[in-house]
Amino acid sequence: MNESMNPVGAATPPGKSKIKKFFGVCGRFFQKYSYFFAKIGISLVTLALSIIALFFLLRMIPGDIVELYALKLQNQQGITFDRAYELAAGLLNYDPNENVFQAFVRYMGGLFRGELGNSYLETGVSANSLIATRLPWTLFISSVSLFISFFIGIAVGGFVAQKRKGVADKVASGYIAVSGSVPDYLIALILVIVFAYQLKWFPAQNNYDAFKVTPGFNLPFILNVLYYAFLPILSYTIVQTGNWILHMRGSCIGVLGEDYILAARARGLSEGLIRRKYMKKNALLPLITQFGVSFGALFGGATLMESIFNYPGIGLEISNRIVNKDYMVVQGLIFFSAAMVILVNLVVDLIYPLVDPRVRKG
Amino acid sequence: MQTQTDNIAVFRNVSIDYPLKKYTIRAVTDVNFELKRGKITALVGESGSGKTTLASSLIRCISEPGRVAAGEILFRGKNKEGEIEEIRVDKLSDKEMRAFRWNKVSMVFQAAQSALNPVMTVRQQFFETLDAHEAKLPKGEKKQKSGDREAKEQKCRDLMEYVKLDADRVLASYPHELSGGMKQRVMIAFALLLDPELIILDEPTTALDVITQNYIFNLLRKINRERGISMLLMTHDISVVAKFADYMGVMYGGRLMEYGSVANVFKYREHPYTAGLIGATPSIVGDIADMKPIKGSPPDLMNLPQGCIFSPRCPKCRDICLTAEPPTREFADGGRGKCYFYREGEHADTD
Amino acid sequence: MAQETKENKWNEFLSAFARVMREFGSSLLRGLKKVFSNGKTIVGFSILAFFILVAIFGPMIFPYDSNTDMANSYLMPSLKHPFGTDWLGRDVFRQVIAGTGSVLEIAFYSAIFTVALGTVLGIVSGYLGGWVDKIIMSITNIFLSIPSFPIYLLLAAIVTINTPVSLAVIISIWSWAGLCRSIRVQIMSLKERDFIQICTVMHMSKAHIIFKELMPNVFSYIAINFVMAMRNAIMASVGIMLVGLAAYDPTNWGAIINAARTKGLMNVKNIYILLYPLVCIIVFQIATLVLANGLDETLNPRLKVL
Repeated sequence: MNESMNPVGAATPPGKSKIKKFFGVCGRFFQKYSYFFAKIGISLVTLALSIIALFFLLRMIPGDIVELYALKLQNQQGITFDRAYELAAGLLNYDPNENVFQAFVRYMGGLFRGELGNSYLETGVSANSLIATRLPWTLFISSVSLFISFFIGIAVGGFVAQKRKGVADKVASGYIAVSGSVPDYLIALILVIVFAYQLKWFPAQNNYDAFKVTPGFNLPFILNVLYYAFLPILSYTIVQTGNWILHMRGSCIGVLGEDYILAARARGLSEGLIRRKYMKKNALLPLITQFGVSFGALFGGATLMESIFNYPGIGLEISNRIVNKDYMVVQGLIFFSAAMVILVNLVVDLIYPLVDPRVRKG
Repeated sequence: MQTQTDNIAVFRNVSIDYPLKKYTIRAVTDVNFELKRGKITALVGESGSGKTTLASSLIRCISEPGRVAAGEILFRGKNKEGEIEEIRVDKLSDKEMRAFRWNKVSMVFQAAQSALNPVMTVRQQFFETLDAHEAKLPKGEKKQKSGDREAKEQKCRDLMEYVKLDADRVLASYPHELSGGMKQRVMIAFALLLDPELIILDEPTTALDVITQNYIFNLLRKINRERGISMLLMTHDISVVAKFADYMGVMYGGRLMEYGSVANVFKYREHPYTAGLIGATPSIVGDIADMKPIKGSPPDLMNLPQGCIFSPRCPKCRDICLTAEPPTREFADGGRGKCYFYREGEHADTD
Repeated sequence: MAQETKENKWNEFLSAFARVMREFGSSLLRGLKKVFSNGKTIVGFSILAFFILVAIFGPMIFPYDSNTDMANSYLMPSLKHPFGTDWLGRDVFRQVIAGTGSVLEIAFYSAIFTVALGTVLGIVSGYLGGWVDKIIMSITNIFLSIPSFPIYLLLAAIVTINTPVSLAVIISIWSWAGLCRSIRVQIMSLKERDFIQICTVMHMSKAHIIFKELMPNVFSYIAINFVMAMRNAIMASVGIMLVGLAAYDPTNWGAIINAARTKGLMNVKNIYILLYPLVCIIVFQIATLVLANGLDETLNPRLKVL
């Protein structure tokens, strides 16, 4: 661009052609990757709108948080209310005199600096620090169970799709109906009651036994973590497996009705080959998107599940802090999970063309 | 009468059922039908007349849950020594069937658009088919049949050029990157891949425009003449039959109503249903007013009329037609008709 | 004279109205006959009807007494107390019955709000297209991106929930988006179909096309989604109650479970109390799923082919 703008080049035809060439290249570049740019654009818009929506949702909260905090400070430190209010406003990064727009701009500034929101209950605690400490636990139990249930689901779903009207299909349908009908947190509750309180095989609470093991990379700790995570992972898996079976079965049945399956059979290909290369490969495509959506949703944690196991993940943190009115942190955590949903969906959209040649048009 | 070896495939009293939850639908009822070696035989009928079901039974690709309920299906193909060998197709084991498919009988599907796996390139699908059949042959024959990779590649390229496609581009393409006409030509090349003796063409040009249709038919005729491959053409367009086929059968409600050489069938127009089909086709020279559609609608297979199943729509229907199904009358020239009045004069002579 | 024409017009209107109603009635009857020919639908609907009857007549026959009776706390099931009593000596059977109405109300209201919002926005977005579509879709994207359950909790904390309607509003605000998106897709594919194209060419009014042509075609889908929305509402409302954020109705099944849970699950007697509402929720959810499946089988033409 710069080069073509120099006085000599601009006046002479070769320069003009350079400009043209440059725009041509740009145009072709954008055209070629228009799919990607469109997806990125939509994601950015959604992210921006989510920030706005969350900001105004939090503004709707009745009762001044600063006032609440100031009262707390006043009681703790024995200072005057005015002084406490000033202090509180400073600590919460909140100015009662500014209008909505100034507040929004300041909030955005915080976001750009990577500050998602400070706690007013505990000093030094912020959404960022909570994500750092809680997210690994949430991701650990939820992603392990997501992978387990996904793989069980596609295997079983693909199997029963071919054997409709068989016993396996009836069993699978029954399982789907029951596991889809019981809310996940109630399955967790039942498991806790049976295996933790009645049989006492597994712990009912927490992520590891702080008295017995020391956190770090040592075998007792890892085993203890797995022992404590068993029930949460089991209940997640029970709920989700039915869902994946259902989707895979539906997708496979759809694919089995396609002409190319019949054509492959007519070509004398073996049933095993048809199952692998024709049915599964095509049936998995729509499930990839769904897997992405589910994975993105993990970052918000499962609020109820975690509170039933008292498992210190993001979800438990969100529900506790809503009850305790620590809204700044809540805002940050919800924003974080929304952003992760958007990001993961974007990644799925961007890599999908690599898997499905039909979208690979450019 | 022709000799036995004239027919490459024979359907003898074939009935095909679709057992459903509450009742069973008989899609094909007691059909006797044969395909002449080296000739193009057409099977005409409205949708739901059972023609696709009948033809797919030859490679046991009837859509679920259809089953051959009665009758014999014979295929008289050449074995390795070039001698003609009779195979009971309906008695083959699954494994033998897989080896038989495409090797002896291949098929061009109605919807070429969706007959290719969308997530594999054309080359991958061609190679996969070659591999599948190579694996089934005894070890010694491997080389002879398709050889190594280059030989396979060469084979695919030759076929692509034969159907006038750009081999480099098309073989590397995914199905969605090809146009309808190109896909149909790919399917034809695909059908030729293992040098079969018979190709089943299931309405090969329905989704194509007229010019492409013509092109495809010329190509198919060329294949028939040059390579001596027999063909079974299924269509509902009787004008295509007139131009293209040597023999024809007419199906209605799962029954073969008429069979004979195209010339004879068009000459006599003896069967009321065939006559109706011919009358219902617009011709370029005739007036549109001459077109007479057949009144009524195709029979409901679950609730067939009493007597001749065509009687409710038949302009020549008489009392006898309502009593029982007419028998099939056979004639010396190979013609057959399922009607009480089929070629009345001649029939009286032969009696 | 003027009076007469007015009357005439009025009569004409009445007869037209009667004709429409008659037509509607007979088609409704035919529709019901078709819908209730499916075994699943009958089973699902019967269970649902049973819960509705319990909700209406249960409290009349077995009125709930919220007074505490410490002498009779933690009684085992008996004739007098079929489900036993809780830690304050209150009858659990009557609590569960009293809670049925509350649960059903929330489910019903949320389903109405969710379906109404999702359908209207989906149809408008899909049919009008252009900028309207873009705006509605970006709003939908927000609702689909921000996780719903924390928002339920947040809204429940912000708004004081004291009626089933307010809880239903909170639940439906964050659950219409998925329905909206899928209705939009359906409308967009319907729009390409010939009969709608013909309507457009014939310059029929948009209202006519939307209500007379498009709505009947997505009606079955809406009916199924109404049942599904009820399911989701129950899952969400019980969940909110489990966290203790909508404590306006102590006999709601979710509230009973939560109360028993907070009393301590180490005590087996609390588990007994929690069991009944738990079973009720599971039975109710299975019934709605079976009903939705049954409706899907009769109303969804695509499934018939399979």
